[in-house]
Amino acid sequence: MTILDRNCVVDSGPEGKPPLVFVHGYGCDQTMWRRVTPSFERVVTYDLTGMGRSDLSAYDFRKYAELQAHADDLLQIIGALELSDVTLVGHSIGASIAVLAANRAPDRIARTVLVSPTPSFLDHPERGYRGGFSRKDLEGLIDLLQENHLGWSAQMAPTVAGQPADGSAAVELTQSFCRTDPEIAAHFGRVTFFADCIDDMAGAARPALILHCDDDALVPMQVAEWMQRHVPGATLKVLRATGHCPHMTVPDDVVAAMQEYLRQAA
Amino acid sequence: MTAEGVGPRDRVAADLVHDAPCGIAVTDPDGRLQYVNSTLERWLGREATELLSLRLTDLFTPALRLFYETHMAPMMRLQGHVREISCRLQVAGGPPRPVLLSGVGRFDAAGAATRFDYTIFDARERHRYEEELRNATREADELAAIVRSSPNAILRTDPAGRITNWNPGAERQFGHPASSVLERAVADVIPFEGMTDWFRQARDARAETTFEARYATGSEFEVTLAPIFRRDQPHARPDWSVVLRDVTERKAAERRLEVMVGEMRHRVNNVLTMVSGIARQTLPVDHGQVFIARLQALAQANDALSRSEWTGAGLRQLLDFAKREAGGGDRFRYAAPDIELSARQATALSMALHEMVTNALKYGALSRPAGQVEVRCDWEGQGPERRLRIGWVECGGPEVSPPTREGFGTRMIRLVLGMDLGGEVRFDYPREGFRCQIVLIPGDRSSG
Repeated sequence: MTILDRNCVVDSGPEGKPPLVFVHGYGCDQTMWRRVTPSFERVVTYDLTGMGRSDLSAYDFRKYAELQAHADDLLQIIGALELSDVTLVGHSIGASIAVLAANRAPDRIARTVLVSPTPSFLDHPERGYRGGFSRKDLEGLIDLLQENHLGWSAQMAPTVAGQPADGSAAVELTQSFCRTDPEIAAHFGRVTFFADCIDDMAGAARPALILHCDDDALVPMQVAEWMQRHVPGATLKVLRATGHCPHMTVPDDVVAAMQEYLRQAA
Repeated sequence: MTAEGVGPRDRVAADLVHDAPCGIAVTDPDGRLQYVNSTLERWLGREATELLSLRLTDLFTPALRLFYETHMAPMMRLQGHVREISCRLQVAGGPPRPVLLSGVGRFDAAGAATRFDYTIFDARERHRYEEELRNATREADELAAIVRSSPNAILRTDPAGRITNWNPGAERQFGHPASSVLERAVADVIPFEGMTDWFRQARDARAETTFEARYATGSEFEVTLAPIFRRDQPHARPDWSVVLRDVTERKAAERRLEVMVGEMRHRVNNVLTMVSGIARQTLPVDHGQVFIARLQALAQANDALSRSEWTGAGLRQLLDFAKREAGGGDRFRYAAPDIELSARQATALSMALHEMVTNALKYGALSRPAGQVEVRCDWEGQGPERRLRIGWVECGGPEVSPPTREGFGTRMIRLVLGMDLGGEVRFDYPREGFRCQIVLIPGDRSSG
């Protein structure tokens, strides 16, 4: 199995154009980009190993205990497609993965677009950094992920009021989004929410557009300001939006900000 | 449609929503609460007017907020719903309330979200049950990991001895994969030399059984069978857990040790015989006899010990040696419990008894035809404080007076019993006969 099959890589658009590679965040898969990608020409999307429709058997728990393993996958995909002058677009922990990859291969990657990024969800008072969450909050999340083991199979049967009555279609629909094996979900959750990329962000090898929602319950404004101050060559664009996923809630604003940034870069 | 007598359809629907046996909340696309029913107000301990200025995520714990933003919110937009999320809501002035939360999104023709509807079910009972289930699963996983990673062969059989479970340790020990042994009789899969149906023999004992046996390859195993009684079938015959530990190396070491002990016993006897010979030829006759007698006492104790493979000797056995030296039951009587002394205690005590008998024969009660020695051994105290008191009383001998100086025998008794064993020794010299009292803790601290 090639890495393109393993990570369910979708490469669309004319080959000659400068490519955008999209990296999704925790708890979902590449479908979360579907309202943004149609606005660009050469687009590559994929599922992180262990997520979505990727080959779950490839998720080696020891290897993927390090976020860098996901960045190495990303570089392998870029290598397999022989991409250069790449714009990496990453959401949340996907943004951290994009920065790790760009730091390792700055020759292939021209810039990054970081959607709702955070160097660390966890507070690090000793380093003057406040991510917004205490260790206890994050442990609570891991418990929640384990509790929803049982809920996971329930996700497979979407007989909720307001859903199409056609059972088979509904099942297919449910299974196609944000699939996660419960053990992998808990493991990747721990890797994600306890990740510390403060030094990697501060040492970013490539310029970044930072898109931040002004009303994000996960990433407080002070984190966006930290990013602007510490990430070399950072451009901060604050979107008037609620939540952590502007590419889903205000996709037009995200597209506009990205297009303007890419125009200026070109 | 409503049946007659229930009331107008709209009113029934309104009542149903408001007082439903579940919480109901509606938010705008940004998650701001637009409606909460009275059930949810009651559960949260907050008024609707207060709640309507909040967002749904304000009711969440920080952990749930993370889960909502990263998983639930994208799911609501991608697939239009989330279902049965197990979580907790923050309650005014109370502990968080376990609930199951389902949500469904409403979208306009262009696919933009217009509102989100949530139904929230009380999950306190279910939560407790699931918690127990999770704990049980965790515990089972841990035990399974122990069995999986054990180097011992661990298997389970049905009541008839057919293998139902076979761990990787068994696979390594006997070279059969689980698939090829399941359902087969354990005694056929693992035959032991000279035992036709070891499973039946052990099973018929109907209790935990341990034995050692030699496998075809020459490996030796310690086999433990234990019944597994099933709680759901109290009257059924039990399954069996079978644990096989490879003891080939231990058994080889034991055999080497046995040979060495035999060899050592032989050598010690030779040395003692040789030393006796040297003494006989070197020392003046009277001194030589005393020395040889002492050496014999040592040899006797040594012999008793080597017969028990140096694990120890019986107190009564030592007293019997002393009785023989003293001239038999007319002269020497004893009463003692049947206890084992450690090798070191036995050696020391046999030397001490020899000294005291020799002394009594020469100067004490046994130097007169009517003189006697009586020894009483009694337990004293309880538990770890329990000690053995040995009393030596002479009578019918010549009148006794305290010695002006301590002889070699007395010094030796003090030395071997006091210093070597941590025992207490006391000598008394009443006129009617010499007395000695020894207190020691049998088997303790002297086993080396």
